[in-house]
Amino acid sequence: MLTKPQIHLASIFIKIFYRDRQSLFFSLLFPLIFTCIFLFSGGEPNPTKLGLVNQSQDALSFKFVELVKKEKTFLVKEGSESELKEELISADQTAVIIIPETFNQSPNPGKLRLLLDASQVRQVDAIKDSLKATLLSIERDIRNIEPMFSLQLEDVKSRPQRYIDFLLPGILAYMLMNLCIAGSGFNIVEYRRRGILKRLFVTPIQPKDFIISIVLARMFIILIQLSVILGLAIGLLKINIIGGLLPLYGVILFGAFIFLCVGFFLGSLAKTQESIRPLVLLFTFPQLILSGIFFPISSLPSFIQPVASGLPLSVIASTMRNISNDGAALFAINFNFLGIVFWIFFSFFIATKFFVWQKVAS
Amino acid sequence: MPIIKVTNLEKHYPSPEKPGKTFAAVNNINLSINTGEIFGLLGPNGAGKTTTLEMLEGLTDIDNGDVSVNDINVKKNPYEVKKIIGVQLQSNEYFDRLNLSDLLILFANLYSVSIDPKALLAKVDLENKIHALPDDLSGGQKQRFSIACALVNNPMILFLDEPTTGLDPQAKRNLWNLAKDLNEEGMTIVLTTHNMEEAEYLCDRIAIMDKGSIIAQDTPQQLILDYAPEPNETPIHGNIEDVFLALTGHGLRD
Repeated sequence: MLTKPQIHLASIFIKIFYRDRQSLFFSLLFPLIFTCIFLFSGGEPNPTKLGLVNQSQDALSFKFVELVKKEKTFLVKEGSESELKEELISADQTAVIIIPETFNQSPNPGKLRLLLDASQVRQVDAIKDSLKATLLSIERDIRNIEPMFSLQLEDVKSRPQRYIDFLLPGILAYMLMNLCIAGSGFNIVEYRRRGILKRLFVTPIQPKDFIISIVLARMFIILIQLSVILGLAIGLLKINIIGGLLPLYGVILFGAFIFLCVGFFLGSLAKTQESIRPLVLLFTFPQLILSGIFFPISSLPSFIQPVASGLPLSVIASTMRNISNDGAALFAINFNFLGIVFWIFFSFFIATKFFVWQKVAS
Repeated sequence: MPIIKVTNLEKHYPSPEKPGKTFAAVNNINLSINTGEIFGLLGPNGAGKTTTLEMLEGLTDIDNGDVSVNDINVKKNPYEVKKIIGVQLQSNEYFDRLNLSDLLILFANLYSVSIDPKALLAKVDLENKIHALPDDLSGGQKQRFSIACALVNNPMILFLDEPTTGLDPQAKRNLWNLAKDLNEEGMTIVLTTHNMEEAEYLCDRIAIMDKGSIIAQDTPQQLILDYAPEPNETPIHGNIEDVFLALTGHGLRD
């Protein structure tokens, strides 16, 4: 049970945050910017800009151009090779396809040239896949054959799924992690440096009391911050939380607890404000890549997938996505739930075990 | 009747000069502090005063030896000891954006007690600063507020770590009077200081520390009789500063 000192200390942390008008302003500004970005982009990624140079006079080449233009994932611009090449260099185009004069002639009737900017790694795969599909359908047309297999895509869950629906839970989880680490790790180093922690610990409170209090206060603040984002996402971006808000808030609370505790641990490891930054990056950056926030974990190399799936951000983001998109229950016994339980105990253990309240000699 | 008993107390830290080696910040000290007295720990910088004080307060782990405060073993029950003592630290930093009243109520809550912040601030002559932030206080006011924070739990023993360092003579005198008043109310006070006048004026007994050890321990008057140089042809009255310099030497310490 919570004790009177723990509750009072938590209320003090909330009071300090409320009186800090600057952080209050910025904590609400970020959700607004985030929502506006998605509101104006319609919640979908922009189509890939594709330049098309047709040097052939063959009828088939015109058919190919028509089919490419029909692809929704491409924004096609026709022009000369030199003109589009320049646009590619200045990043006005993502890729350029050149249909050579010899198209549909021996010895290589179907050979096309694809010019790419290798720095646009993310788009390269998407272009290659879409292009392969287009080429396949043209080939069928030429050979006048019906496809042996056809795939009719039907969502068995019968729900509209947009990119923003996939993205939002991950973004929320990522924000949750950053807000928590900033709220505990950075604070604790500063409190310790100024001797504030030492002043607290001349009283009978113990590290666990302090951690529980700041966790309670931060959870409250983070719930409000994430509620603003969720409110805007539901109201303006028409996000549908299929599993309901209550289980989603449950995961947010568990996640907040885990990341705040990890923040305390990192704050205890770091001796100075300068050393806490690389430590926090070391924890957060790999998770941004590996935790399926922007790309599904299944797209990672297979040897790294088991590790990636068990990361704290992965289990939190996956559970939030399952609740938000698939209506999953919070307490379903599965890998993610067990992962959350493990991280709750492990993070609290390392936070309290390694807690340093004295100024650390550098 | 001793309220604090210190037996063979030791604290070792890694040596900054010899990697892999340790040095004794506190080396086998014994103390006995009586109920109701003002006890002073004197010593040059790095003598081990603050380390000793922090081990008595349960803030620093004890490597060897024993400390009991009001018959509570500090090593075994540091949190029980903290309930009956008040501590004023050398640094006076507090949470931002909390005024004096907020801070006193916060500290009182950490002891699970209720206080009247105005009455407590009146005790240290700061009742008109109840809504001020600590950063708005002068040096002397900050020290008095720091003592007010240490009094929220009405402690049996008050620990003051160099309470008058950096204060002007008026603020210093004001703080001495406050310490005397609290002592007259029955509070035992343990303080560390560099200020010889302070030790002589305030303390019933003094222990002089150097290089982690106690090199002399008695009443100020007795220490003067024992160690101050004899008056020469031009009679000069010896004081506790003479004692201090005679025992610890004249060389500067960092």
